[in-house]
Amino acid sequence: MNKVKTQLNFKALFKNPYVQFILFGLVLSTLPLLSIQFSFIKSAYITTVGVALIYAIAALGLNLLLGWSGLISLGTAGFMGLASYISAYLTVDMGLPFEVALLAAILVPTFIGILVGLVSLKIEGLYLAIATLAVSEILRKTFEEFDQFTGAFSGKSAKFPQLFGMFQLDRGSTYWLIVFILILVMLITYNMVNGQIGRALNAMRGSEAAAQAMGVNLLKYRLVAFALATIFASVAGVLYVHFIRYSYPSSWTLKLSLDFLAMIVIGGLRSIYGTVLGAFIVFAVPDLFLKQIPYFSQLSYTLNGILIILVIMFYPNGIVMIFKDIRLWVLKLLKKGDRNHVK
Amino acid sequence: MLNENEVLKIEHLSIQFGGLKAVDDLSFSIRKNEIYGLIGPNGAGKTTVFNCITQFYKPNKGTIEFRLKNGGSTNLVDHKVHEIIRLGLVRTFQNVELIRELSVLDNVMIGAHIDFKASMLEQALKLPRARKEEKALREEAEEILRRLDIYDRKDMLVWGQPYGILKKVELARTLMCRPSLIILDEPAAGLNDVETLQLAQLIRRIRDKFDCSVLLVEHDMRLVMDVCDRICAISFGRFLAEGSAKEIQVNPLVQEAYLGSKEEEHA
Ligand SMILES: Nc1ncnc2c1ncn2[C@@H]1O[C@H](COP(=O)(O)OP(=O)(O)O)[C@@H](O)[C@H]1O
Ligand SMILES: [Mg+2]
Repeated sequence: MNKVKTQLNFKALFKNPYVQFILFGLVLSTLPLLSIQFSFIKSAYITTVGVALIYAIAALGLNLLLGWSGLISLGTAGFMGLASYISAYLTVDMGLPFEVALLAAILVPTFIGILVGLVSLKIEGLYLAIATLAVSEILRKTFEEFDQFTGAFSGKSAKFPQLFGMFQLDRGSTYWLIVFILILVMLITYNMVNGQIGRALNAMRGSEAAAQAMGVNLLKYRLVAFALATIFASVAGVLYVHFIRYSYPSSWTLKLSLDFLAMIVIGGLRSIYGTVLGAFIVFAVPDLFLKQIPYFSQLSYTLNGILIILVIMFYPNGIVMIFKDIRLWVLKLLKKGDRNHVK
Repeated sequence: MLNENEVLKIEHLSIQFGGLKAVDDLSFSIRKNEIYGLIGPNGAGKTTVFNCITQFYKPNKGTIEFRLKNGGSTNLVDHKVHEIIRLGLVRTFQNVELIRELSVLDNVMIGAHIDFKASMLEQALKLPRARKEEKALREEAEEILRRLDIYDRKDMLVWGQPYGILKKVELARTLMCRPSLIILDEPAAGLNDVETLQLAQLIRRIRDKFDCSVLLVEHDMRLVMDVCDRICAISFGRFLAEGSAKEIQVNPLVQEAYLGSKEEEHA
């Protein structure tokens, strides 16, 4: 009797979304430990997975924008890059603490992001895509030209983060910081999209007329959507530069912005786990596996294209839905098994 | 100025699109707890009147005085479109505007948008106030769904629901803001006779339970004749007649307007 009760409690616990997020984070955190334990997990994998998780943070921001709010941006890479340079400059050249650099590297791009949000009230769809692309390309040009600030083509270097001026992180612990922040971002996103803000963004996407009639100030929520997307991209940019310890103009091209788009479309529009899954499929899988196969390393563009088409045809809500289908299928099988048992 | 017992008073309302006078010097007023019908053939300008009241369109001329919950009054023309619901005035749409990807309950919760006091930060971190607010409003939404007999569908997606249900969900959404005036654009369109009859009863029940006034637009006379205390008929954006259902039915101007449009349709 007692045992049944604790079992039930366990089940309820695992169903709690917050517990799930934390478990997910714990699973991700084991990677550096595994690479010490098992030689078949190369330490380079940590870099690849870490970058995929960083990309997932930026992609979550883009998902808020495109998935939930129905607004497009091709500027994610530019904002992420801007944040990376600001943080590198402030910590290395100015000797400011990591936390201060993080804050500044969020505020400046977000200010620009909000300006783009203002523009979004006037232009939509394709034109908004082009406008955000233009902003991103201007930023990238700036990275190339402002060499005393960005190091131009030779790149800008940075160090692993030092937290609270005391704890100098190394690669493994920076990876843990990335996991921690990703889980935090996932939690915050979850809270927002399942409450008033998320419903307002959904309404804005689904029916502007209904949204306005229900008191949603379109301007305000467009700005909110752009601000959130830019904040997430900036956080990702800061983590990137302090994890890879380099930022080059060539890291922040249209290709990366398109990759973010691919991540959320393939992983799942309006799905938090789907976004992380998408980041793995678009970035980590080619990097970890396909590079080993000759000819394939050049094919990731093509592969993304094919994947997007397949997903749109068979899983319009993203590959994350496959898991739901598999679960239903397993449940069905189990039920069948039960029935046979009774007979 | 608004009289003691009036909630909405439209005076000399006019709006033009290019050369077309969609609404032309229209005046009428709605009393407290009244169900008021606005009728007219297709293209008469009914939806345009709604869009002017709710500030989706800014009228070229005229005033729209509205009774506030504190007893004062305001000219709606001075407000932005998203501010209207805060005054206690809420609408539905002729072509049902719901969010397909959300559940029935979440769609109704959109109607509670203005009731949230917690800041975005409190919501992002799900601090106690945000949590409490969400829970209380969710319960309120469930209660409204129960009253409209669609509680059993609360967790289903709106996408794929039958039209009659969609209309009810939209109605439920308007009730979340505790309105003093609800305006319904062709609520009976697309419903069969039985559903129309049920809708008439529902509208009356809502008026009584939620202690509000209702303005409804119809081009089809069935519902209006049944449920409205008073009716205003318009044609080509102009006032034709005002009165009880019986008076309107026998009014020669109204008959002519409808007959005229019928002939056009046949032609
Ligand atoms: N946004 C608009 N732009 C131009 N013409 C419009 C617009 N909205 C309505 N109209 C015109 O105003 C007239 C009244 O339309 P409407 O109010 O929709 O009629 P009803 O709801 O009574 O059927 C129609 O001739 C319509 O074409
Ligand atoms: Mg109409």
